Amino acid sequence: MVRRVFALILVLALLAPAVMAQDEEVLQMGFWEECEDPAGLPETVTIGAIFAQSGAASVYGISQSQAVDLAVAEINELAYLGEGVTLEVIYADSAGDKEQAIAAMTKLVEEDGVVAVLGPTLSSEAFSADPIAQENGVPVMGVSNTAAGITDMGDFVFRDSLPESAVIPGTIAQATEALSLTQVAVLYGNDDDFTISGYDVFVEALEANYVEILAEATFAKGDVDFSAQLTTLLGTNPEALVISALAAEATQIIVQARQAGYTGPIIGGNGLNSPAVLTNSGEASEGVIVGAAWNIASPEALSTAFIEAYSAAYEDAKPDQFAAQAYTGAWLMATAIRCGDSAESLAIRDSLAEIVDFPSPLGMFSFDEDRNPVHTPVVQIATGGAFAVLGAEMTEE
Amino acid sequence: MDSIIEFVITLLKPLGVTEPVFQFMLVSAILGLSIYLTLYTGMFSLASAGFMAIGAYFGVAATQFWHLPLGLGLIIGMLAAGLIAIPIGLPVLRLKDIYLAIATIGFGEVVNVVILNFDDVVAAILTAVQGERVRFRLIEGARGIKNIPRLTETQYLVFFLIIVGFFITRLHRSRFGRSMAAIRDDERAAANMGINVTYVKNIVFILSAMLAAAAGVFSAHLTRIITPDAYGFDRAVDILSFAVLGGTSTWVGPIVGGMTLTALPETLRAVNQYRGVFTGMVLLAVILFLPGGLVDPAGLRATIRRVRSRLRRAAESQGAT
Amino acid sequence: MDTFFQQLINALSLGAIYGLFALGYALVFSVLGVLNLAHSAVFMTGAFFGLVLIDKLQLPLIVAFPLAMIGAGLVSVALEFIAFRPLRRRGAPRISQLISSIGASILLVSITQLLFQNLYGGTDAYFPRGLVPDEPILLGGLRIVPIRVIILIAALGMMVILQAVVSRTQIGQHMRAVAFNQRVAALLGINVGRVFVTTFFIAGALGGAAGMLYGLVFLNVSPFIGSDVALVGLTAIVLGGLGSINGAVLGGILVAALQTFSTAIGGSSYRNIVVFGILFLLLLVRPQGLLGQPDSTRT
Repeated sequence: MVRRVFALILVLALLAPAVMAQDEEVLQMGFWEECEDPAGLPETVTIGAIFAQSGAASVYGISQSQAVDLAVAEINELAYLGEGVTLEVIYADSAGDKEQAIAAMTKLVEEDGVVAVLGPTLSSEAFSADPIAQENGVPVMGVSNTAAGITDMGDFVFRDSLPESAVIPGTIAQATEALSLTQVAVLYGNDDDFTISGYDVFVEALEANYVEILAEATFAKGDVDFSAQLTTLLGTNPEALVISALAAEATQIIVQARQAGYTGPIIGGNGLNSPAVLTNSGEASEGVIVGAAWNIASPEALSTAFIEAYSAAYEDAKPDQFAAQAYTGAWLMATAIRCGDSAESLAIRDSLAEIVDFPSPLGMFSFDEDRNPVHTPVVQIATGGAFAVLGAEMTEE
Repeated sequence: MDSIIEFVITLLKPLGVTEPVFQFMLVSAILGLSIYLTLYTGMFSLASAGFMAIGAYFGVAATQFWHLPLGLGLIIGMLAAGLIAIPIGLPVLRLKDIYLAIATIGFGEVVNVVILNFDDVVAAILTAVQGERVRFRLIEGARGIKNIPRLTETQYLVFFLIIVGFFITRLHRSRFGRSMAAIRDDERAAANMGINVTYVKNIVFILSAMLAAAAGVFSAHLTRIITPDAYGFDRAVDILSFAVLGGTSTWVGPIVGGMTLTALPETLRAVNQYRGVFTGMVLLAVILFLPGGLVDPAGLRATIRRVRSRLRRAAESQGAT
Repeated sequence: MDTFFQQLINALSLGAIYGLFALGYALVFSVLGVLNLAHSAVFMTGAFFGLVLIDKLQLPLIVAFPLAMIGAGLVSVALEFIAFRPLRRRGAPRISQLISSIGASILLVSITQLLFQNLYGGTDAYFPRGLVPDEPILLGGLRIVPIRVIILIAALGMMVILQAVVSRTQIGQHMRAVAFNQRVAALLGINVGRVFVTTFFIAGALGGAAGMLYGLVFLNVSPFIGSDVALVGLTAIVLGGLGSINGAVLGGILVAALQTFSTAIGGSSYRNIVVFGILFLLLLVRPQGLLGQPDSTRT
């Protein structure tokens, strides 16, 4: 409770200069100039959020719930939806299970009558549960769904999480140029839809950049010993090692690759985008290149403000990309409600689709015509145990 | 029929049950019956999860790749599982107890691996044949097959359960059903009495596989995306729990067990975080204190008899003083 | 050839962990005649205790390790009292005890999940690196990572100690007597109940040790590492022979070798098929395993 109050005070303190100095750079999430104050909203606007708050995916779901809580607290404190109007969130736990996600969506949409939904955490849950929102005409925004084809489910389905197909091509293009790559080896997990989809995009991007794939090898989730695969791959003497893996496996792969004597660059997808990977692989992480939608070292002013607010609210915990996207998602939803000046689901949907150039911790955010996110991703390289933007490192040399 | 179903769902609403939850409860009921058949014959088989996967994938192939209606998809899924059950059953059913359990768990894992790597294997073969690298994607491995239309209706599930229930009741009264029970009680004695043990066990195994496959087909067209990780060891243990919770002395038991365990996470949404703990405790409590499961007519009769005799003795001793 | 020896070292160190873990299964099975399927949860608990002791309480490894083992042993004893003893008293069939252990396992994993979420805000946590040196040493053409060798030595050491306890001490004698024939052992004045408790404690301590070693090498700890290793453990004891302690160790090393070499040759996608394929063949041809007694495995 004390921390909550402290966080709010911090938010207000940061707000004051922003309100007074309107012409300066946007320092804090706040009143988007594009819209006027809403006048026709009811006292309470209720949205739903389906996150995996228990089970194997809970590390993401808990992070997302905390971020949404933070955003909603700020939104209500600012009276973003108008005087006397409160935004409420009803959470439902899907535990990473498709059946529970369906039950959660049904409950939120049909029983609790929410006007919009954030989540669910996993893409597979989204494929199961989002059609229910679509059929009921309730907008649903994925804040961590990165699989291909999410928004194809219907015009009420949105997402603010850049799919790998939007991040990886840029990563490969920049890495290829920075490192003059011609030959790589690829290691990927083939029993997880995230890592295998990432692999698909890596292959396409590598071919598009005329980089030859010397060898490929697979591993399974939960594997801890990659020496066999690494021996094979490194034996082909690649210029870089491209891996599509989740954080736990990625850590081991990086450590074991270095133990096997490999000193070259390692390029990875979003699974590696976690400070834990760097911390736990220690010095081995030097030279790891990761493409991601958001990075804790991002120079965006709103990103810095978000990180401070999150740390203040949650005992110095550092937010991760899931938190940043969930936080932005909540703000996007509130903005749609505000700008549409309506708590009707259809109006919210239309308003959401029209959002263009919204300032957020992810950068300038827009939805494209397929309701997918558009903002500049970050390519980062690990130096000295922390992520730095790849371009910045280049210009220093 | 529709209105009866709606009425039942309305009754269950306060327990957190909505129509999709009810549909999953019915699917669990079918899975419970699948493992009931093998347990009734004394076989500790955990193969239902693997056959559920086979049913799901074949059923989806039928409706999505060959554009057949759900009914045909159901038949194809069940047939595929039944056919696969034959070469698996013949060698494996000779094993006993924990060895059979381990072998059937292994079967489930093998199904999982096949689904994950099918595309890659075909791609490798095509590459070898054509000389240049070929990429093949049909069942998509870990990515899962998505955008499956929701073809399963509650009526279908209810009808299916009624038909299967009817079939099982007839089975119990038949000679075949009595052979099943005889084998469970003492396999060697059953063999000595002239029962073809191998034949009976394999037929039961096939039937059980077909039921699990049917559940898979129905469930696939409810969750609208199927991924191989939904049919692994955890699912096999879940199915076993249905039978344990409900009790295996009647065929109603696993239905009750399956429906209860599926509804429990929804009912317990209020105590969100502790749902897993509750489920584990419920299971453990039933095993320890209600060894016959929730539906245990024999146990209930015994308890009633005990209570009645105790009351009688208390009354007699009162009268005597 | 270098690669072969490299893989051999990897297989041995992994096999040592699997063997240590499978020992717990074998011990309980030989003395009590039941399979304790909650053993994998005890394994995970050992890793969890170790993690908390080192990470949250800042204890040095040399203190945390035995404490984690003792903790895991106590959890295992609790399992005996909650999930096995009541059923044994009632004369319930072995299958009931098996299922009861599954229920206990689910409960244990769920409770640990909650603890994880409260302590780490999620279900993923990592052992701090560098507790045991992991910079590779070059020896000829091989890169040997010290931690793997240390694990091999630690696991083998514990197995040797176990062997000594079983064959030389009085409690070991009692355990062997009860394993041979419970009724006769009771008639001879052996406190069978106490033997059971001791067996569970030792099995749990070994499982917990295996868990900690696993965490030290592979760093990632979650409530779910138990289920990854459960199937491996079952395969190991079936391969080695269900009641045989030496068989469990042999089985563990074999499974690790099969996994490592099939991954090296064909990629890790198919290693489960290789392992289970060999398991099937063995069950059909020689179900008592390599070192087991050819008794009642078939019907």
